[in-house]
Amino acid sequence: MYRFMENESGTQPAGEQVVAAGAKNLISMHNIWKTYQMGVEELHALRDVSFEVAKGEYLAIIGPSGSGKSTLMNLIGCLDSPTKGEYWINGHLVSTMTDDELARIRNKEIGFVFQTFNLLARATALHNVELPLIYAGMRAGERNDKAQAALASVELGDRVMHRPNELSGGQRQRVAIARALVNHPSILLADEPTGALDSKTSVEIMALFEKLHAEGNTIIVVTHEHEVAERAHRVITIRDGQIEKDERIK
Amino acid sequence: MDFTETLKLAISAIWAHKLRSFLTLLGMIIGVMAFMVVFSVLQGFNAYIDEKIAGIGSNSFTIQRFNFEDFKDTDTIAEAQRRNKEFTLEDLEYLRGRAVIMEKIGAKAGGNRRTLKVGNETMEDITVDGAEPIIGEIENVDVAQGRYFSDAENNNSMRVAFIGTDVADKLFPQGSPVGQEIDIRGIPYRVIGVRVAKGTVFGQPQDAFVQLPLKTYGSNFGGFRGGRYLYFLATAPSDALFKDAVDEARNLMRQRRKLEFGEKDTFGIVTPDAISGLRDSLFGTTFIVILAVPAIALLVGAIVIMNIMLVAVTERTKEIGIRKSLGARQNDILKQFLMEAATLSAIGGLTGLILAKIIGVIISALFIQTVIPWYAAVIAIGVSAVVGILAGLFPAWKAAQLDPIEALRAD
Repeated sequence: MYRFMENESGTQPAGEQVVAAGAKNLISMHNIWKTYQMGVEELHALRDVSFEVAKGEYLAIIGPSGSGKSTLMNLIGCLDSPTKGEYWINGHLVSTMTDDELARIRNKEIGFVFQTFNLLARATALHNVELPLIYAGMRAGERNDKAQAALASVELGDRVMHRPNELSGGQRQRVAIARALVNHPSILLADEPTGALDSKTSVEIMALFEKLHAEGNTIIVVTHEHEVAERAHRVITIRDGQIEKDERIK
Repeated sequence: MDFTETLKLAISAIWAHKLRSFLTLLGMIIGVMAFMVVFSVLQGFNAYIDEKIAGIGSNSFTIQRFNFEDFKDTDTIAEAQRRNKEFTLEDLEYLRGRAVIMEKIGAKAGGNRRTLKVGNETMEDITVDGAEPIIGEIENVDVAQGRYFSDAENNNSMRVAFIGTDVADKLFPQGSPVGQEIDIRGIPYRVIGVRVAKGTVFGQPQDAFVQLPLKTYGSNFGGFRGGRYLYFLATAPSDALFKDAVDEARNLMRQRRKLEFGEKDTFGIVTPDAISGLRDSLFGTTFIVILAVPAIALLVGAIVIMNIMLVAVTERTKEIGIRKSLGARQNDILKQFLMEAATLSAIGGLTGLILAKIIGVIISALFIQTVIPWYAAVIAIGVSAVVGILAGLFPAWKAAQLDPIEALRAD
C-alpha cells in the first residue's frame, strides 16, 4: 500500500557536493545563528544551534511562541538561510545556497505539512498532489499515476477530483500529506499538523504519522502541543533561540 | 515546468475570473478590432482598385474629356467645362488614322438610366451604355453566356444587347436570355450575351446593366452628348511601349485640338498609374492616422493588463508561497505570470480579430469587399501577445521575487 514511498535512496541527486561529515546524518546543523536587524538592534532568533538527525528518526521540536522554533523550522525546510553556521541535508550544504538551489532542495528533499494545509483552493486534490512533481519536471502520465497512488495511500483514492472546499479538515490534511510524500522526500516536515483539526481527527493524523515512520520515513514535527510531541521518539525543546533539552523518549 | 503545463495553468487562472478577464481585455479587443477593420477596408479598397486596373488591362489607358486635376474645385471644373470640348466619333477616327504605337483604340459612351421590359416584367433605373466591339478585348470582358458584339452589329446599328447577370436573372428567370428580347423605350433589343457576375462594390451592384453597340446607342438615345459623353480606351502593345503609347495619344489629341506649345491639355488621360497615384495621395496619410488610433487603444489595453496582473499577484501571494515551498523556482513563477498575461492578451487579440471578421462580412455585404490577409491576423495576435508579455513583465518579476516565508504567511 505504501509502495510509492519506497526507493528513498533514489532521491539523492548525483553530481552535487557531498561531504563525508554531512553524509553520515540526514540533517546536520553546526553552530547555526539567525539574526534579524530590527532598526539598530540585532535580534537573535537562533543562537548557536547544533544538532543532528539520522535517517528514520521521528523528532518533535517544541517550544513556546517566540522561542525561535518557527525560525528553526523555516531553516530546516530550506525556506530560509542561516546568518551563520553550516546546514547539511542529505549530503548537500544548504546554508550557502541561492534561492533557486533552495527551491530545488525543497522539491527533492522536503515534504511540507502545514497547520492550515496550504492547498490550492481552485485545484483538485489530484492536481495539488501533482504540484511537486510538476516542478520536478515529471511527465504528465507518470505524474498522474504517482499522485493517484499517493492519494490512495492516504485513503483518498475516491476523492481525487474533489477540491479542498469539498473535503473535511482531516481529508485536506491527508491530501497535504500525500503531496508532501509524493516526490519521496528525505524528510517529512510538519508544522503544527493538528493545529486546525478537532481532537478525533488529530488522533487519526498522528496515527498516520506513526505509520509513515514505521515505513521508514524521517519525520520532524514542530509543535507546541505536548500530546503531539509525545508521539515522537525524540524531543528537542527550544527556548530563547537555543536548544534547552534534546531527549530521546522512546 | 514545461510550456503546455504553464499554458494550462494560465488558461485555468484566466477562466477562474471570466468577467474580470473580459473587462480587462475590452481595451485590447476594441484596439485590435478597430485596427483590423480599418486595415481590412483599406485592403479591400486596394484590391478593388487593383482589380479595376487589372480589368482594364495594365497596358491600357483612358482618354477622356476631363483630367483628375480638373476636379480640384468649382473654378477648375467650370474652366475645364468651358475649355474641354466633348469627344466626337471624328476624334476617334483621327486617333485611329494616325496611331502607330497604340495597338487598339475603342470608344465607349456614358450610361443612361432606363426602364427595361420583358413581357409584364420590368426593371427600373438600369444603366444602359454603349461600347464598340473592340472594348470586349480591351477590357477583357468575361462572357458567361453567348458572346460580345460583332463589328457588323455596331456598324449597322443593330438592336442587340449584352447584359449583366442581375438583369438576366430578373428578366429571364427561366432558361437562357440569349436570343430573347428586352424592350427599352419601346424598342426591342435581342440579347446576344451575358457577362460573368462581379457582385457589388461600395453597395453598387455591378451586374445590373445593359450594353449596346456604340452606334446603336448613339442613334437610339439621342447622340453622344451630356451624360452620354464619348471616351476612348487604348492599349499599348507591351509594357515597354506603354509610356510611348500614352505620349502618342496625348500628342495626337493636342494636334487635333490645335493646342499651342505650353498650353494646357483640353482633355484627360487616365493611366493605371494615375489611379494608384490617386489612391496613394488619398490614403497615404489617412492610413497612418487611422492606424495610430487603434495603436493607442492597444497601449491603454496593455496598461490595464499590467494593472490586473499586479492585482493578481497580490491576490495570489499565498499561492505563490505554496508553489515556492513545493519547489517552484523564480523562473517557474515568472513564466507562470508572463504566460498568463500573454495568453490573456492573445485571447483579446483573437476576440478582436473574430469581431473584425464579423464586421468585415457586414461591410463586404453593404459596401466593399474587405480582406484580412493571413499575415495581418498573425501579426494582430502576435503583437497582442507581445504587448501582454511586456505588460506582464513587471508583475511577474514581482511575483518571482517574493520571499516564500512572507508569501506563505499571506491570506
